[in-house]
Amino acid sequence: MDLSLAIFVQIIAAVLLIIALMVGNAVVMVYMERKVAGFIQRRPGPYEVGPWGTLQAVCDSMKLLAKQLYRPGNVDLILYYLAPITAFFPVLLLFLAIPFGPWLTPLPVNDGIVLILAFAGLGVLSNLLAGWASNNKYSLLGAARAVSQTVAYEIPMILALLAVVLQSGSMDLKRITDQQGQWPWEWNIVLQPLAFFIYLVSLVGETNRAPFDLPEAESELTAGFHTEYSGMGFALFFLSEYANMLLVSFVAAVFFLGGYKGPFADGFWWLFLKAYAVMFFMVWIRWTFPRVRFDQLLNINWKWLLPLGLINLWLTAIIVKIAL
Amino acid sequence: MNDLIGQIFHSLALVLADIEAWLAPYLPGLNWVALLAFAFYVILILSGGLTAILARNLVRATLGLIITFLGVAGMYLLLASPFLALMQLLIYIGAVCVLIFFAIMLTKNTADGEEAQAPGPLNLIYAFLTVVAVLAVAGPTIVTGTKDIVVRLPVDTGSNLGEGLLSMDLLSFELISIILLVAMAGAVYLAWRPQGQLDAKNEKRESA
Repeated sequence: MDLSLAIFVQIIAAVLLIIALMVGNAVVMVYMERKVAGFIQRRPGPYEVGPWGTLQAVCDSMKLLAKQLYRPGNVDLILYYLAPITAFFPVLLLFLAIPFGPWLTPLPVNDGIVLILAFAGLGVLSNLLAGWASNNKYSLLGAARAVSQTVAYEIPMILALLAVVLQSGSMDLKRITDQQGQWPWEWNIVLQPLAFFIYLVSLVGETNRAPFDLPEAESELTAGFHTEYSGMGFALFFLSEYANMLLVSFVAAVFFLGGYKGPFADGFWWLFLKAYAVMFFMVWIRWTFPRVRFDQLLNINWKWLLPLGLINLWLTAIIVKIAL
Repeated sequence: MNDLIGQIFHSLALVLADIEAWLAPYLPGLNWVALLAFAFYVILILSGGLTAILARNLVRATLGLIITFLGVAGMYLLLASPFLALMQLLIYIGAVCVLIFFAIMLTKNTADGEEAQAPGPLNLIYAFLTVVAVLAVAGPTIVTGTKDIVVRLPVDTGSNLGEGLLSMDLLSFELISIILLVAMAGAVYLAWRPQGQLDAKNEKRESA
């Protein structure tokens, strides 16, 4: 890839659009989460502010912007303020490799999925720093849980993605999309149903969402690693959490659901539709399943998902070898 | 629709290329950009290393290590090996440093622990000897033995790396895995307590 002015302009424009996407996504997702939760629990959800309560999330974000940044005593100052920043900025880079449309890849890279996995690893680091620097037992416990959970669930996630990579012979998200067809029966989910299932379960674990939200389990740990953050410090964690959800949904859409391809006309609308369908699924199971215990969480991963992922990868390798 | 977007992007890129050609005499050359990036990564590596050595708090020391790894990943990028750079991030920061953090949190770690005190003269001598020993072995090898490496590894695509590791460099690859295996067995041995011993210890603690 040559270094040129066009690529600089492209990256800067892309980063600005991605920031807008992250903030807009958080607002939409908060509204969707509260409405779906209300529907599942047979109550109206937010309905006061704006038509059908649509402006509630906007008001909440205004409140977060205006809130005082309160810092508890005896925290490790540098690490305390570094943690939300390291949570927020790597996520910007992750969206660069996603092919949004036939012509809309912010930064075309050959090793797109490696880029995403590499920078996603920085996310757990921010949880750790936040939990450590807060000088609070709840935060520390939340951080310790976050590490063992994320380290564990990263492995089946990578195994599931690796099966698709083996099958399509490329780590470029654009090429993986191009190898799938327009109609649902031509997508990778038909060829790799087990990998899709493993990926779905481990993405819930990877994004620390209920029923796997042990790092912040509010009934046990107040709010886990971000207990001591207020105002924008909390808002940055919140934004990056929803952005991470959007990212893993995009990856699920690209790897298993045909990416930007869809019936009638290819384009970013299909990618967004599929990603938000995955997000809706995540919200749905959050309000349907109770939180698992920590030993159950790790048992699901090490005793079920990991062997299943290895078997799936092994079978895929054999079939690919025979077919070629 | 998609063709239209493609056309727009294409013409935009052409306009930008024109602007670039017009600006070219006033812009620093690509070599200068590479030099600046190199200086930036060297500063990252050195400052991270100094933080790791001088910090009197294990978490901050690990953070210094992470900054060093970031600089090393940048160096791989400058060597035109983006795959290795990303692997550096994925493995060293995403796995190794996170596990070090985990170990720090699991052990009893207080702000005024052993590592918070200034090192004694004997420790300084040991550290100096270690550095000298490593440099004496690795320094001459690095200076004299790395001239052909760029020629040997043209592009670091996944398939090239895989073929290299499983053919030309198979022996070193396997030796490294044996080292990792030995380290893991050693860790298990250090942490291993026979069942009865652990129960006796727990009973003692409960009765106390």
